[in-house]
Amino acid sequence: MNALQRHRRLTEIWASDPGFRGWFSTVNHTDLGRMFLATAFFFFIVGGILSMLIRAQLATPHSAFAGPEIYNQIFTMHGTIMMFLFAIPTFEGLAIYLLPKILGTRDLAFPRLTAYGFWCYVFGGTMLLVSMLLGIAPDGGWFMYPPLSGPLFSPGINTDFWLIGITFVEISAIAAAVELTVSILKYRAPGMSLDKMPIFAWYALVTALMILTGFPPLILGSVLLELERAFGLPFFQVDLGGDSLLWQHLFWLFGHPEVYIIFLPAAGVISTVLPVMCRTTLLGYGWIVAAAVALAFLSFGLWVHHMFTTGIPHMGLAFFSAASTLVAVPTGVQIFAWIGTMWKGRPELHLPMLHILGFFFTFVIGGLTGVMVAVVPFDWQAHDTAFITAHLHYVLFGGFVFPIFAGIYYWLPHFTGRKRFFRLGELAFGLIFAGFHVTFLAMHWVGLLGQRRRIPTYAPEDGWTTINLISSVGSFVLTIGIAVLLIDVILHVLTAVRGRRNPWNAGTLEWAMMTPAPAYNFASLPHVTSREPVAEDPELCVALARGQGYLGEPRHGWRETLTVDIASGTPDYHVIYPANTRLPILMSAVTGVFFLSLLLKFYWTIPVAMIGVAILAWRWVWGLGLKEDIPPQGIGRGQEVPHAASVARSPGWWGTTFLLTANATFFGSLLFGFAFLWTVAPGWPPPEWLAPSALELGIGLAGIVAAPIAARLARRSQAPLPFLAIAGAGILAIGAVCAALMLRTPDPTGHAYGATLLVLGGYGLFHAALAALMVAFLAARVRRGFVSPLRRAELPIVGLWIDYLATIALLILLAGHLPGLLS
Amino acid sequence: MRDIIRILISPLVWLAAFSAVYGLHGLICGHGIDGEAFGLPLPRLLLVAAYAAAILVQLPILWALYSPRFASPSPFVRFVSRATGWVGLVATVWSLLPVVMTSYCG
Repeated sequence: MNALQRHRRLTEIWASDPGFRGWFSTVNHTDLGRMFLATAFFFFIVGGILSMLIRAQLATPHSAFAGPEIYNQIFTMHGTIMMFLFAIPTFEGLAIYLLPKILGTRDLAFPRLTAYGFWCYVFGGTMLLVSMLLGIAPDGGWFMYPPLSGPLFSPGINTDFWLIGITFVEISAIAAAVELTVSILKYRAPGMSLDKMPIFAWYALVTALMILTGFPPLILGSVLLELERAFGLPFFQVDLGGDSLLWQHLFWLFGHPEVYIIFLPAAGVISTVLPVMCRTTLLGYGWIVAAAVALAFLSFGLWVHHMFTTGIPHMGLAFFSAASTLVAVPTGVQIFAWIGTMWKGRPELHLPMLHILGFFFTFVIGGLTGVMVAVVPFDWQAHDTAFITAHLHYVLFGGFVFPIFAGIYYWLPHFTGRKRFFRLGELAFGLIFAGFHVTFLAMHWVGLLGQRRRIPTYAPEDGWTTINLISSVGSFVLTIGIAVLLIDVILHVLTAVRGRRNPWNAGTLEWAMMTPAPAYNFASLPHVTSREPVAEDPELCVALARGQGYLGEPRHGWRETLTVDIASGTPDYHVIYPANTRLPILMSAVTGVFFLSLLLKFYWTIPVAMIGVAILAWRWVWGLGLKEDIPPQGIGRGQEVPHAASVARSPGWWGTTFLLTANATFFGSLLFGFAFLWTVAPGWPPPEWLAPSALELGIGLAGIVAAPIAARLARRSQAPLPFLAIAGAGILAIGAVCAALMLRTPDPTGHAYGATLLVLGGYGLFHAALAALMVAFLAARVRRGFVSPLRRAELPIVGLWIDYLATIALLILLAGHLPGLLS
Repeated sequence: MRDIIRILISPLVWLAAFSAVYGLHGLICGHGIDGEAFGLPLPRLLLVAAYAAAILVQLPILWALYSPRFASPSPFVRFVSRATGWVGLVATVWSLLPVVMTSYCG
């Protein structure tokens, strides 16, 4: 088979369906990455237009441009769109498009999950846009503090759109994070050990792990606030044992890591693009990896620095002030490594480099004002002023938008296969840079003069008129710059001439393929021996196209790839991907029905949607099975590896592990909330405790012990069905005691204690139902011959869920019954 | 996976210790725990003990990351895990330093 025949055969196997319907059935990471990026930039434009409306309103005193109600919606939607619908999805889109290419593989770990996440993002984002068009958009600020956002002060549907829409969109983020984590750890080119991983992959790995642990607290907060609004469970009402500060803790437990979730991928772009622009290699690769890991962890110890004015005792403030100053150290390590890289190289002032220089200038200023607001007494003065708004824009625009623009111009030849023809990009950069600094330097100034953030208007005698006008003029210059940039990109996509492969002479693997990238990425998978394989072997692309790497011979119409050992990068097992399907869009639509039912309070359709999701999930997993054993597969270069269905730690096992990590963070946040209310909220202890029940404890403990043991025995046994039946009985016992906890809890609308127990019981019951469904699925698979001594990968996956259920059930029983026993 | 754990363990322990000490501080202030032991205010003593325990957990981890028995065979992972080991120790010492510096419930 020659290179052209191989290309045609692989394209036949891997390509998305042709035409418009291919958009709805594609599971290809290249297509979905592009779709993510295009959608994210659509939302960026919408968010940008909203920012123009804000600046138009503030350009003059006593402005009648928008009334306060509409203005509240405008600034809330601006923040919400930029944070949730632009920044995070842009990272997801770039990572989804890029990672398999730079890691030297053919697709991400779970292609259908990529598509499901994308459609959840589209539907959730659309929900928020529709609310804006109807004039009922969220209006409580992008961080939705109760009691302002509670049922008493925001009785309309506006806040519900935020809580439900954002939770829907966050499914997409969690899905992408699971997908990216497993892909980076397992789906790499053979030979790519951890020290040979491209630096962008390290950043993406750290970011994905942060999403898995950073987003669940906000999802929990949204669930609790929606329960308060819809059913009167008083988690945030002080007179009923709740505390509005609980929301602030949960929100900022997400919100501060979110800043780094946005910054770290951008830093990954800088670390990738900068050395290429400087004709050298990255200085201090190991230091940068360590700094990224350190930054990720430290960012979880900073959340209270957003709450310095809430009356927390001095020592509490000092912990977070100290941690906030410490975070400057790993950031500084990265900055100095980049400066060192420029120093040792020969920088060339191409367009991506201009944006990188814009990043340096802007982000360093944002970082320094960050250190200022980490100092408690200064924060007390500047809190909730325009100074903070200016600081966060310096961090986010400097730390994300400039690097992303650099990345777009760097990878544009890869996206399109064309080279730049028009030279509007340089003009765009100049306008963006000048416009941004005029806008936000002025905003620092007016903030220090006392202008509060989010005010709809001000009086001439406040003395802010000229500064605000300058800021507004600057913002319009910035917008013109972004418009010119978009025109430049569109002209490039539509009209530029064919470019050569690897126009930057870069060393990473995404340039070892034709551009635009074929659906299968690599005709054969490379064997990697250095961090920059293309620089090491400029003919690598040709060799791979000739099938001289791994899996170079297409067979059986399989979409096949390899996984590797995490540390060493030696080939591990063989994976066959599923084909194109509309299942992801259908499942996300049914998921959307669930969220829409909650929003519109059509409660009878909620169970219908849940059953629909369960049926589709069943169908989703059922389609993956094999009824016959696949022997070890030859992968080329004289090697054979087992198939994924015959290993204990299959891709599904890894995915489940990381999904459960996110789930455990959600549950941990719920326990934290319980402890917080008990310890800090006024109105405790509650009027009555749940009466402990020896019978429920006994049944629950029997289930907790029986289910995991039976699941383990099922894994080892040749006849797993009887053990699965015992595991099922144990799960039902756990479900029963969780249901009893929900039924017997003291009035959940009367005190936050009862409300918390209701949620704990509901969480346990939901997981019991989920585990029961999985055991039923597994039993059906065993009966239909999908499980054999050589095909047992599904048993450990269900085992993980049962272990998790047993653990949370034990903690739920303790949290429910222990206070009553002790009292 | 062991190499990933080597890289993450120290910062993870810092995060756990930081949360635990902050939680202990919340408990002390929220429940008005007071009294004296060994001539020192009990809240201060508890917080300093927790601080010392957090440092004492970090030290053997850092030692293990340097010892040939537990360190990674990969030079790269050895370097990164030791760097993050130092991050964990320094972060513990610095971010929890307020337990000996400031008033605890003021």
